[in-house]
Amino acid sequence: MNEEKRNILLVDDDPDFLEPVRMLLAAHGYTVETAHSEEGALTCLENFKPDLAILDLMMDHYDSGFIVGHKLKGRYPDAKVILATGVTGETGYRFAADSEYGANWTGADLIMDKGIRPDQILREIKRLLGA
Amino acid sequence: MEQMRANGSAISFEQGETVLSALKRAGIRVPTLCHIECLPPVGACRICVVEDTATGQLIPSCSFPAAPGLSVATHSVKALRARKTIVELLLANHPDDCLYCDRNLTCDLQKLAEELGVRQRRITGERIAQFVDNSSPAIMRDPEKCILCGKCVRTCEEIQGVSALDFSGRGSKSRISTAFDRSLNLSTCVACGQCVMACPTGALTERSSLREVLNALQDPKKTVVIQHAPAISVSLAEEFGLPAGSDIMGLMTAALKKIGFTAVFDTSFSADLTIMEEATELVERVKGGGVLPMITSCSPAWIKFAETFYPTVLPHLSTCKSPQQMLGAVIRHYWADTQGLDKKAVYSVSAMPCTAKKFEAEREEMLVKGAPDIDAVLTTRELAKLIRMYSIDLGKLEPVACDLPFGERSSAGKLFGASGGVMEAAIRTAHYLITGRELENLVVAAVRDGEGLRETTLTLGGLTLKAAVVSGLGSARKVLDEVAAGKSPYHFIEIMSCPGGCINGGGQPRGLDRDNVKKRLAALYAIDAAATLRVSHKNRAVADLYGKFLGKPGGHLSHELLHTTYQARTDLL
Repeated sequence: MNEEKRNILLVDDDPDFLEPVRMLLAAHGYTVETAHSEEGALTCLENFKPDLAILDLMMDHYDSGFIVGHKLKGRYPDAKVILATGVTGETGYRFAADSEYGANWTGADLIMDKGIRPDQILREIKRLLGA
Repeated sequence: MEQMRANGSAISFEQGETVLSALKRAGIRVPTLCHIECLPPVGACRICVVEDTATGQLIPSCSFPAAPGLSVATHSVKALRARKTIVELLLANHPDDCLYCDRNLTCDLQKLAEELGVRQRRITGERIAQFVDNSSPAIMRDPEKCILCGKCVRTCEEIQGVSALDFSGRGSKSRISTAFDRSLNLSTCVACGQCVMACPTGALTERSSLREVLNALQDPKKTVVIQHAPAISVSLAEEFGLPAGSDIMGLMTAALKKIGFTAVFDTSFSADLTIMEEATELVERVKGGGVLPMITSCSPAWIKFAETFYPTVLPHLSTCKSPQQMLGAVIRHYWADTQGLDKKAVYSVSAMPCTAKKFEAEREEMLVKGAPDIDAVLTTRELAKLIRMYSIDLGKLEPVACDLPFGERSSAGKLFGASGGVMEAAIRTAHYLITGRELENLVVAAVRDGEGLRETTLTLGGLTLKAAVVSGLGSARKVLDEVAAGKSPYHFIEIMSCPGGCINGGGQPRGLDRDNVKKRLAALYAIDAAATLRVSHKNRAVADLYGKFLGKPGGHLSHELLHTTYQARTDLL
């Protein structure tokens, strides 16, 4: 368990991803808010300040994850963003946030390909939050 | 030896040998796609057909027994036409994106198409759209490029005993998949990469970290350092057309300096460090009644194998991190300070003969205060690509030594590249730690090259230690079953995931050429024989690191930075 409770926003239109990850993060002491659409995520941000957000990419629109990421960073510049997506497998497009340029235009600190192990997502959260 | 005829000449064969094997010994090359030398033949692809000159029939040479009186033509018009047709059929539903493929210019199918003169798409087959699986940190799978030769399935099941991949579907819908079609990252795959070594096309490749490393090299805010594993210097040469077993340590280091790495370190240094920690842990366990047998923990695919298939043996695993992670930890938490650098500004790369090292570097347990020990892992193949990308001509470089303080190593550390090497290095140091004297004959022949399980019994100052070495996860199962049942006769066991050890790792030059692996092994032993510093405990740089920073082996800081924990995995079996 973390000494200090950290806020995580979790957004995905796939309940089979959203629910297990929510349970995992809650079990590790994070305060988790969830949304299942771009619109829902933006509404949630009105009253919730996340330390980190895990966003699906393709939801209401093909670029929903990018939109939410950019708006979130605009409002809370210190918040970290992970895009968790299956876009490469489904479309062949590959995105990366490992350069300044990539991170700037995607609005993400990390892009993870879905099929993510629980320990993997916990590791990336710890790494990004410096815990 | 008996005799048969090939292309009009007599060739010898042994009872029970296949035609392909006899032809190979006679120096006659017949192409293969599905054949794996150390496994029984399957005769699935039929590329190796030769013509029986008596009957005019085509026979698959890989699975047809050689017999007296048999006469074959290996390159008759009929055989060549059959091979060409087979390749054309394989290409009928194969993607045409060779230019963009990881295997461009190294693809077995591409080579065969060129050799057999395929110049047009004569047959067009139905293509089934399938997703690329890039979920694993180590291995990428592109099922559209799969030709269903089954080598990955057989390697995973029959050599590694993992069975993460298998055939599914029927007829034209046959494909290779994981259990329940889950992504590779959520399967029982241990990331050893032996399937990548076996794959003849671009269907299975390592997940490349080149882009990340290039980005870091061009980032002025980052100090980029690299370490290279003991087995790399004797295998990288093959990627540049040099003979197998050539040791190009100095040239490789020079190339990496030229590329722009601020420091180039030798992982053999931290292999020595590992030995100090591991031998200390072994002595403590033996003298203090700890869990025995103790099993080595350098091979990350072996660790995931244990976590997945043998969770009850986890207390037997040494808690030592692998040399890659140990060096990563001391680079970030010690070297960065000595250079006046911000820990987070150091980008730590490792060049490894292994795909599972990519998985290991991303383990949750390998974070110290939110900072990873290693930022990116390159395989031997990726390292060669990086050197080519920078247009470096190895022939025009002068060899240089690795940077200090992590450039000094004993040849015991270098032996980590071979199966039995960790054991040999550990025995040399454990003997010294227990008796206060050096081992009379430093070569521990009983654990050196050989097939399957090797064992030895040592008497160290009144202590009798029984040790075993095994490589290849399939071969390790018998030893592990004994450990799990509490019936193991050993005190210390070395397990390496890949058959033969890191010299045959999943990140090494492709193909399953056992002759090349033997030459790499011979090169490591030659380095050891010629070395003046042959024991880890005499490595002054390691002693210095303990004196200035770590304290003592097994001490508090060592435990914080150099040791780790393991987790039982609940992946679907």
